[in-house]
Amino acid sequence: MRNCLVIDLDRCTGCDSCVAACKHENNVSLGIYWNRVNVVGPSGEWPRIEGYWLPTQCQQCENAACEAACPTGATYRDEKYGLILIDKEKCIGCQSCIEACPFGARTYNEELNIVEKCTCCVQRLDAGEKPACVHNCCTGARLFGDLDDPESDVAKAIAAAGEENIHWLPDAYGASPRTCYILHASTATWKELA
Amino acid sequence: MALNTNVTRRSFVKMAALAGAAAAIGTQMTGSLIEAPAAYADEAEEVKVVKTSCHGCIQMCPALATIKNGVVVKLEGDPAAPESRGSFCIKGLNELHTMYSPRHILHPLKRVGERGGTDFEVISWDEAIELAATQIKDAIDKYGNYAFFSSVGGGGSFSFIEAMTINMAFGSPTVFEPGCAQCYLPRWSLSKLFYGGDDQSIADNAVQEIFKVEDNKTEVVVLWAAQPSVSETAESGRGMAELKAMGAKTIVVDPNFSPDAAKADVWLSVRPGTDTGLCLSWYRYIFENKLYDEQFTKYWTNLPFLIDPDTKLPVKAQELFPDFKQSTPANTPAYVCFDLKTGAVAPFEYSAPENSAVDPEIFWEGEFNGKTYKTAGQIYKDEAEPWTLEHAEEVCWVPADLNEEAIKLYTSLNGGIANGVALDMTESASQIPLGLMGLDSIMGRINKPGVTMTQKGMASIPVSRPITKHNGFGGMFSDMYGCGAVVGMSDEENEERAKQLAETRPQALYNQILYDRLGMKNHKGLYAWCHSHIPTVREAIATGEPYKPRVWFDMSGNKLAMLGNAKSWYDVFPEVDFIIAQYPMLTSFQIEAADLVFPCREWLEEPMVNMTQLGTQWLQNECTHIGETVSHGIPGAQVIAKVQEMYGGSIPNGLEMAPGVSAYMGQPNEAAVKKSVANTLGAPDWETLQANIEAFVPRIPEGYWQYNQHEVIVDDGLPAGFATESRKIEVYCQILIKCACTGYPFCYPMPQEPCEDYSPICKFIEPCESPVNDEANGEGGQYPFVLTSGRLPYFHHGTMRHAAFSRELYPIPDVKINPKAAAELGIEHGEWIKVISRRGEISGRAYLTEGVAPGVVWMERFWNPECFDESVPKENRTAGWRECNVNVLTKNTAPFNEVYGSYTNRGFTVRIEKGEKPANVWVEPKEFAPFLPTLQNEPVTPDVF
Repeated sequence: MRNCLVIDLDRCTGCDSCVAACKHENNVSLGIYWNRVNVVGPSGEWPRIEGYWLPTQCQQCENAACEAACPTGATYRDEKYGLILIDKEKCIGCQSCIEACPFGARTYNEELNIVEKCTCCVQRLDAGEKPACVHNCCTGARLFGDLDDPESDVAKAIAAAGEENIHWLPDAYGASPRTCYILHASTATWKELA
Repeated sequence: MALNTNVTRRSFVKMAALAGAAAAIGTQMTGSLIEAPAAYADEAEEVKVVKTSCHGCIQMCPALATIKNGVVVKLEGDPAAPESRGSFCIKGLNELHTMYSPRHILHPLKRVGERGGTDFEVISWDEAIELAATQIKDAIDKYGNYAFFSSVGGGGSFSFIEAMTINMAFGSPTVFEPGCAQCYLPRWSLSKLFYGGDDQSIADNAVQEIFKVEDNKTEVVVLWAAQPSVSETAESGRGMAELKAMGAKTIVVDPNFSPDAAKADVWLSVRPGTDTGLCLSWYRYIFENKLYDEQFTKYWTNLPFLIDPDTKLPVKAQELFPDFKQSTPANTPAYVCFDLKTGAVAPFEYSAPENSAVDPEIFWEGEFNGKTYKTAGQIYKDEAEPWTLEHAEEVCWVPADLNEEAIKLYTSLNGGIANGVALDMTESASQIPLGLMGLDSIMGRINKPGVTMTQKGMASIPVSRPITKHNGFGGMFSDMYGCGAVVGMSDEENEERAKQLAETRPQALYNQILYDRLGMKNHKGLYAWCHSHIPTVREAIATGEPYKPRVWFDMSGNKLAMLGNAKSWYDVFPEVDFIIAQYPMLTSFQIEAADLVFPCREWLEEPMVNMTQLGTQWLQNECTHIGETVSHGIPGAQVIAKVQEMYGGSIPNGLEMAPGVSAYMGQPNEAAVKKSVANTLGAPDWETLQANIEAFVPRIPEGYWQYNQHEVIVDDGLPAGFATESRKIEVYCQILIKCACTGYPFCYPMPQEPCEDYSPICKFIEPCESPVNDEANGEGGQYPFVLTSGRLPYFHHGTMRHAAFSRELYPIPDVKINPKAAAELGIEHGEWIKVISRRGEISGRAYLTEGVAPGVVWMERFWNPECFDESVPKENRTAGWRECNVNVLTKNTAPFNEVYGSYTNRGFTVRIEKGEKPANVWVEPKEFAPFLPTLQNEPVTPDVF
């Protein structure tokens, strides 16, 4: 079971609905973001340019460096969904995981002295719903599901897109992120961002 | 809905009034005036999910509201919606920051002290209505009916019909809206004059075919000055994403590399305000390469008609052939063409193409009886002739190869053009929609699957010769007030109709109001929405000529953020004796201008029926209700009733439908609002609807998708054709010639004075302030950038500037500037800059991008409600409209669009300098904490009226 988000960059128009949906759903404070939408480009020279948006959040790595770095076991892989989550009770706010995460997906909550990140809205998954960012996404770009289930939204989208159009964030440390991005060259050329 | 029934209106108002003494900014809206209802304190938590619709923009996506003990705690898209499919944009999501915002006005407020100050006191509704009515009546008694004026627009509390009719109820011609001539009126109105059908706007739901879920035939869409992914993100933006995913191609014409441009197959980055030139280059290419639909153009458009060079009107057959007897009814004139069958000028009678006696030539110029005529097609061809791809590149800054690629894509695939609001905001506001509708017409893309110009629903199936009524939406005011000619009726039929209506309708009074309306002599197209010409209204307030508007009832929005050249309006506020402003939120306008504020419901509180989504109708529900807010039509109705009471019946010279029944179209109380909403959805009453919402929502119409209606044979034995004078698509918009002369078909039977002719076709006008004209006027280089603006997904008009989760992401306007241009000025990415026009200067942050041309800057319009936050020391507070508001820069003086009087909101020149952050403006996310919602503990309250 490899649940994660898959994001179709051919569709994403950078509207930030996913950011607000996440913040309302999970009561995230001002200035803290469990997900962001990054602008890539435009590259080229006016008026012959291209560009895309790159939404980022916890990439649900196979080899999660955050899990290894956590001294208290607060960061763990849950049994029900196979997701990397944080047990707020166990977190001591040491921020080792923030240092370890190669994707900058974790944030420190000063008020509670804990680290937080995207949970794929487990509370919604428990209720049989999709994560808030997926549900409300204004272009149908965000998908959630099990990469191992060929009938899942994510597996079907990946299959339809074809291997050459599937991309991952640069994985310098072998974290093996599950989240992948669909982008066809006809929309824009994928940029390997450092 | 579990309302708190312990509090009667009387006791509530009493408590509200008591609390009023302490009122001041930031405090008058917060804090519960009533103790929390015992019901909620004692009982177990009640959570329910209710079907509703967003009203964060005009598209109104279906939504689901989670309500916990009367408080809305979550909003999300309704997956059952056919086009938005569960999508919900940031504007909709952040309604939770609006509904419970400390800026949500909960009680009537009366100004304490001078305008511009932030002190108001809470007064009762009875006092508020009495105060408004007294001011209006006193002004009417002292100065006459024309002392009253109304306005609307700016997003939130949508009161278009109410604003359009409250002035009539008080017998005044004056009403305006910053949108209107600058937003949609030209495109909407011209489509009615052009072919009596739906226009090319996506935002306004005229274009639906391209979003069809099943059996979608759209292969290409041209988004011309439209950005659905930004303006209507969850609905049309979702629709565009689905369309692209199906493989459709898009061409985007936009100076800014918008999200839609980023997804486009071809992006044409046109110089702001020169769209007409680009459009004419499409005509030239299509004519030259014979890419148009020849048969359709010959028989379904008026381009083959011979045009009289003196009158500029098409020649009627009887004028050149006195013996000609037409076989068609009087309401279907016969015109004249050059017949290719006989090689001679000949009568051209209306018929099905296959029954035509002639084979009309589209492009012809020649003599007949000693006079030289051109066909309308030839006139268009001549107009387009200079517009080679190379010329368009030189003037419009669009590379010829990209332009050619776009034209080839457009002409080779099935689809159509969708136009957008930017086109309404220049002097060319009438010329460009004529051009764009004309392109789809000569391509034969009318009433067909996959195109943008289609008519929907069973009502679009014609049974008799189609007609168009032109005053108000659907021509409603033609019937109600008895003014306006019906296009598609003969002159005799119209005369007879007007005579009959004079007997039962307030025709004479209304016709006089039409005649006296400010700015109408020159800009008669404004009649279509019954609005005054805004700069002329401002001038009348300033000078008292020809009459002085003195008491102002504004029905929504922040006028200082919406009106062009805002300072010119601020300067005339002292000339207005009393200003009433109704709105759910506190804005710059209330601070700077309002003497009295009526609190309106936020959309989570107000019952309404949404704008359709692929024909389906959804409910905007009353999810909760706090304070003493009312639905948007109610204050007007209550004030009118009070003034009537003061007069002991009718308002002297007020427009009435019957004695004592005013012309105002707004419900007097919430029960009437609810009944009307229920009925619209097919429910007998509100209670039945609420008891079983799923049974009534959505309301799905029968036979929504219809095609080829113009070919249907109707009761006169002819194909229906179109609802124009010629029964054809008037690509050469002949009725505009008549309109300029007399105000026909709007100002009828008593005509308006004539003005200069209006152009019946697309024509290029170099923008008044432009690099070209600045150079010619000896001002070259002083204002070296062309500024244009546009929307972002975070805001609709002036809304949502108080929403913390929007502002932390987009705190202040990014001014897009090309890196090369910025380098010349030594300006770096993210640096504060000043943007300076001939009207004023504002601040923003430089956003360096190749997404605009080196000579262009782009920004969102903006205003800053934090500038008068309680946390700012009183002496330092400002009303938040001078700091970053693009309307400090915009131009509201002539030249105006000839037909609609549109002024220049986009495409004027500015210069850029280094700047600094304005004092009261917030930038860091945590600074927006005072905007976080505070009213969740307000008790749920019953209806006030």
